[in-house]
Amino acid sequence: MFKYIAKRIAYFIPTLLIISLITFGLSKITPGDPVKLALGNRDSGGDAGQALEKMASEKAYYEKAENLGLNLPTFYFAIASSALPDTMYKFVKKADKETLGDLVSQYGNWKEISAYHKQLKELEFSLFDVVVDNTIFENMKEIKQKVQLLYMTSDDMDITNHIKSLIKNTEGQPRLNTVYMKTQKLDALYQEMKEKKSVANNYIPVLHWYGTENQYHRWLLGNAPWFIGEAKPGQSKGFLRGDFGQSYLDSRPIASKLKDAIPWTLLMNILSLVIFYSISIPIGVFSATNKGTRKDRFTTIFLFIMYSLPSFWVATLLVTFITTDEYGLNLFPTYGLGEIDDDMSFIEVLGTRAYHLVLPIFCLVYGGIAYVSRQMRTGMLNTLGQDYIRTARAKGNDEKTVVWKHAFRNSLIPIITIFSGIFPGLIAGSFIIEYIFSIPGMGKLALEALTARDFPMIFTVMMLGAILTLVGNLVADIMYSVVDPRISFEK
Amino acid sequence: MSKIPQKIDQSYWGIVKRQFNKNRLAVWSLRMVYVIFFIGIMADFIANDKPFFCRINGNSYFPIFKSYGVGLGIAKYPQELANVNWNEVKYDFVVRTPIPYSPQNLDLKNKDYKSPMDEQDVESSRWRHHLGTDNLGRDVLAGMVHGTRTAMLVGIISMSISVLIGIFFGALAGYFGDKGLQMSRGRFWLSIIGFFLGLYYAFGVRSYFLSKALAEGMGGFILQLLISLGLLIGIFALFNLIAVLLKRIPFFGKKVNVPVDIMISRLIEVKVSIPTLLLILSIVAVMSRPNILMVMVIIGFTSWTGIAKYTRAELLKVRSLEFIQAAQSLGYSEMRTIFKHALPNSLSSVLVAIAFGVASAILLESSLSFLGIGMRPEDVTWGSMLSAARGYFKAWWLAIIPGFAIFVTVTVFNLLGEGLTDAMDPRQKQ
Repeated sequence: MFKYIAKRIAYFIPTLLIISLITFGLSKITPGDPVKLALGNRDSGGDAGQALEKMASEKAYYEKAENLGLNLPTFYFAIASSALPDTMYKFVKKADKETLGDLVSQYGNWKEISAYHKQLKELEFSLFDVVVDNTIFENMKEIKQKVQLLYMTSDDMDITNHIKSLIKNTEGQPRLNTVYMKTQKLDALYQEMKEKKSVANNYIPVLHWYGTENQYHRWLLGNAPWFIGEAKPGQSKGFLRGDFGQSYLDSRPIASKLKDAIPWTLLMNILSLVIFYSISIPIGVFSATNKGTRKDRFTTIFLFIMYSLPSFWVATLLVTFITTDEYGLNLFPTYGLGEIDDDMSFIEVLGTRAYHLVLPIFCLVYGGIAYVSRQMRTGMLNTLGQDYIRTARAKGNDEKTVVWKHAFRNSLIPIITIFSGIFPGLIAGSFIIEYIFSIPGMGKLALEALTARDFPMIFTVMMLGAILTLVGNLVADIMYSVVDPRISFEK
Repeated sequence: MSKIPQKIDQSYWGIVKRQFNKNRLAVWSLRMVYVIFFIGIMADFIANDKPFFCRINGNSYFPIFKSYGVGLGIAKYPQELANVNWNEVKYDFVVRTPIPYSPQNLDLKNKDYKSPMDEQDVESSRWRHHLGTDNLGRDVLAGMVHGTRTAMLVGIISMSISVLIGIFFGALAGYFGDKGLQMSRGRFWLSIIGFFLGLYYAFGVRSYFLSKALAEGMGGFILQLLISLGLLIGIFALFNLIAVLLKRIPFFGKKVNVPVDIMISRLIEVKVSIPTLLLILSIVAVMSRPNILMVMVIIGFTSWTGIAKYTRAELLKVRSLEFIQAAQSLGYSEMRTIFKHALPNSLSSVLVAIAFGVASAILLESSLSFLGIGMRPEDVTWGSMLSAARGYFKAWWLAIIPGFAIFVTVTVFNLLGEGLTDAMDPRQKQ
């Protein structure tokens, strides 16, 4: 047994690693610039007129990027085209990275492309030295816009047009002379880039090795010391040590947001679990022992209907019809968990909470009852047909002993299979119900994160769900052999 | 008088059919499935603001059929009908659909939740909203009809994707097991290298052209995608050719086992370990502009494991039977043996998995659209209509009707699955 568990846990690790790779991979192909999202989507000085302001916002951007570890290579290694430099990851801005990548795809000569990019940057900064007056106000607006566009495009026609417009706007303006010179140089560099095209470089793949200083490593394992010493500020401990990073939404640590939400979800799910297991197991046994009678048929049909009722429909119906005065039945609160005052006694608090949780828990429970009872019935029926049950009856045991002592334990197999699904269900099982009844649990947290594109949150919940599923499967496997000694894992 | 014994079909499917027909509930469910498909297919001809046929100022038009051409980009509305409100055009003669509204039509005179029972501001009973309207004045009945189409599409699209993936992986794992597939060592490694190199050239190097084509239009993108796929297959084949040459060297020619079953079972385990709803939410979050069609595709890509498990278990049983050994000893290729001999004889249990799969896919899609995930504002589905009920508790019709449709559809497919399971259970054969 112990050997088996050890083996299962050893299997656990590669599966977990693959899941972490999938999660991480998904988080990397998310649209938008993560640093900008984390900064609250403030524009990083595109229109800011002052050099100082621009510098400050650039600085804030790079600090945030460093803070999030985004200035590191993505993974332990990379296979990239030989045209790209191995330090490509140092271009933190997503727009820069994409534009440069596209230029490389087209021309394949990094030296010229980076010269062009540098010149573009120089051009942008030279704009701050220009003293703007009425004569060139319109020109400046146009120039700034075109420069921003140049950062984002790699299309030959677009670039040519933008540069042309820059030259047109700067030509013959004494105040814009330096800008004009720089634009001319940019144009020259661009032409050179086009002439010295060497696309063949793109077709040679190169392996870059980056070591452990990479984003994946830092996300999963962290860069703080493991056993001795304290984490310095700015160091993260990594996902496996419970450091899930910060939410983009409000910069709060994700762990603390989870800590607020998980108790409600746990409470709801555990309560409903206890209720539906204690109701449905007797129902299943009853229905199986009375197989073929009218009672059984009635129960089966009733359970089937319950099983097919979508819980979000039932919840909507309940909210619509018995929580408001519209239809004369205002029996339960519509949503939330109720107001709690400081001077309320414990009993009162408990009462308020329970009153608010009746409907959500009912919605979670009825589907579970239907499902588990049906499984219990099938399991029981299978067991009751076995030879050893006939033996037990032949020995003269009364029906009650046969059912509860001989058959019951062995018919629990399907129930255990369901039970393994409960662990992930504890955090992800009641999304819709929480959403409908506005209960501040995991579901609400995850859905809020989804609408706000708060990726660290979403992927943390996904990882946790996966880990709990693995744990659930392990527990179920162990329990199989506990209830049915015929199942053995020693081969 | 002796009765003439009727010829009874004693083939496997004959027996299954007889067993199935004994189950009245299942037979009715199958009929209901036909009805759902009928409504889904004919949705445009049941509820539409465009007429079948109309005559305006002496010119004849067939607007519904024209709209298909416009949708495909091969036709254009005539100038005078380009941007009209079809319900306000002055017709000389017109043949309309039974419900003269499209789900997107905003009837401004009947907005803000007109109940089916209330008085409605309509010209005649022909224009009545029989199931009421929502806050924007959209006809609920039209929404229900077109929602049926969405549900049907979810069933078809999601299930075909998951059936294809599931059967492919399940068949490979079940047929070959861990010891059934052998290839030369050289070929094994070169296939892996060839596959990844193929990916690099087909999608890594060409990513710029692919994304550029995607931005410009679907046609160009598909062309570029085909070029990429061709490259991938070409490079893979090239490496396999090299492997044939390398076979002569003893080291590379040595046969090795490919543990197909372990690899695929691991893949299934990884997939099953991620809660489906969470996985779908995360994938939708990653997309820049999600829509219902993409949600359907994602559901398909995330729910193939059930079918793969069924197929695998069936093929494990089938592969040791005599007729497979006969096919193998006749020297048929492995692909032919799998797909022509082994698979058709193990599809019956997959059918059950499909019936239950459709039910859960529809349920999943309606709960996603209930949460508003992957929905554009103009999309109307059963789930989105049900969630509209949450905005206004007086609108009992929005709370009851769409939910009831979801309930019936899910139940029908579940009953169908149960009926099939019972009919195929060998213990029931007499």
